[in-house]
Amino acid sequence: MTYNKPLPQIGADTRFFWEGCRKHVIRIQKCGNCGHLRWPPAFLCPRCLSADTRLIDVSGRGTIYSYVIYHVAYDPSFKVDLPYVVAVVALEEGPHILTNIVECDPHKLTCDMAVEAFWDDVTETLSLLKFRPAKP
Amino acid sequence: MHAVGVLEAGLCKYVLISYGHSGRWGEGMLRMLLGRNGDDAVFGHFGASAGYAMAARRAMHEFNTGPETWEKIAVGQRKWANLNPRAMMYDRKMTTADYYSSPWVVEPFRLADNCLVADGGRACIVTTVERARDLRHPVVTIMGLGMHSPSADLAGSRYMAGPTGARAAGKAALDMAGIGLDAVDACEIYDCFTYTVEITLQDYGFFRPGEGRDWFAGGTIEPGGRMPVNTSGGLLSEAYQMGLTPLTEGVMQLMGRCGDRQLGPKTNNKTPEIILCSDNGGILQSHACYILRKG
Ligand SMILES: [Zn+2]
Repeated sequence: MTYNKPLPQIGADTRFFWEGCRKHVIRIQKCGNCGHLRWPPAFLCPRCLSADTRLIDVSGRGTIYSYVIYHVAYDPSFKVDLPYVVAVVALEEGPHILTNIVECDPHKLTCDMAVEAFWDDVTETLSLLKFRPAKP
Repeated sequence: MHAVGVLEAGLCKYVLISYGHSGRWGEGMLRMLLGRNGDDAVFGHFGASAGYAMAARRAMHEFNTGPETWEKIAVGQRKWANLNPRAMMYDRKMTTADYYSSPWVVEPFRLADNCLVADGGRACIVTTVERARDLRHPVVTIMGLGMHSPSADLAGSRYMAGPTGARAAGKAALDMAGIGLDAVDACEIYDCFTYTVEITLQDYGFFRPGEGRDWFAGGTIEPGGRMPVNTSGGLLSEAYQMGLTPLTEGVMQLMGRCGDRQLGPKTNNKTPEIILCSDNGGILQSHACYILRKG
């Protein structure tokens, strides 16, 4: 079956992230000067403006900072998923990332709830970083 | 604020601030509301409504708010629209039950928490007080201005539940005006969503976090209430004309040009001397506060 949802616009800034996703690792930029972890990707550290950038792999554990439940499909390709959850997850290591929460009852979610990475292999070459409630 | 700058610099004598949009039949507004922001669309995340809903959900977690608060904003503003023949919702009443039966769009927001999409336009003219005295309409003076733009993209934002840019912008405007909130007779607040009204008034200091539920109770913002808010019906119930919906309503109220909704004996409110207006952009990413005075 062909995947008909919007695809990421992969560019020089974000390629490392999507390549990491293909291997099921979450790769985040770390400032080589002050150690600040940043998302979204940028070529300068927003904290100290250093261009010295490293990549690190993070754990995939985090908490829900906030979330919403879509009851309307703004793009028809999401209609089959309604109601679905979009969330901002606070990674254990610090950065916030926009994602989906899957394998859950949307009405049982709460802010600050523990979640873990869930890899959705949507095509041969694209894996999406989603999250699900953490297994105890 | 830019208008004041070019007037002060002597570059202009009169500055027209205008906005016009065919939001209902053109595509521009839809593109803005539904458009994709970076790779958010990959996860099914689109536009403004969901962004503000995300902020509102975080606020529900951090302090005592939710539909019980927002319902009072939606219903209160609708009562003003019912006095305004130009409002899109002039002849449509909204009760508390109507609010709760409004369908979910992006939970925690119902359709009734969302502003309108409108065809129309607004304009106002800014000039010096001296020149304004020679014109046909009564003078309304800008007492104070403040802007503050935290800017961070939603996913990186840590201020969804406040303090937003309204905190610093409001303080700057009040300081410039040399007044406190107790001198304000009415507010015209940029109300793209119900929650925006709550967080803006909260950050200005009208009530403490979570106390909005009590503050809005008992018809506070409605005709005859102790702090009228969005007296045209606002973006929620009059028409979406960006920040010019609140700004022009503040000016017209102080000029006394508001017909059946004119604050004063007709609405059982104090005739206003000072009105506070706000504007806001992005997902709570930029904020402006204006304080206007009659005369
Ligand atoms: Zn740094």
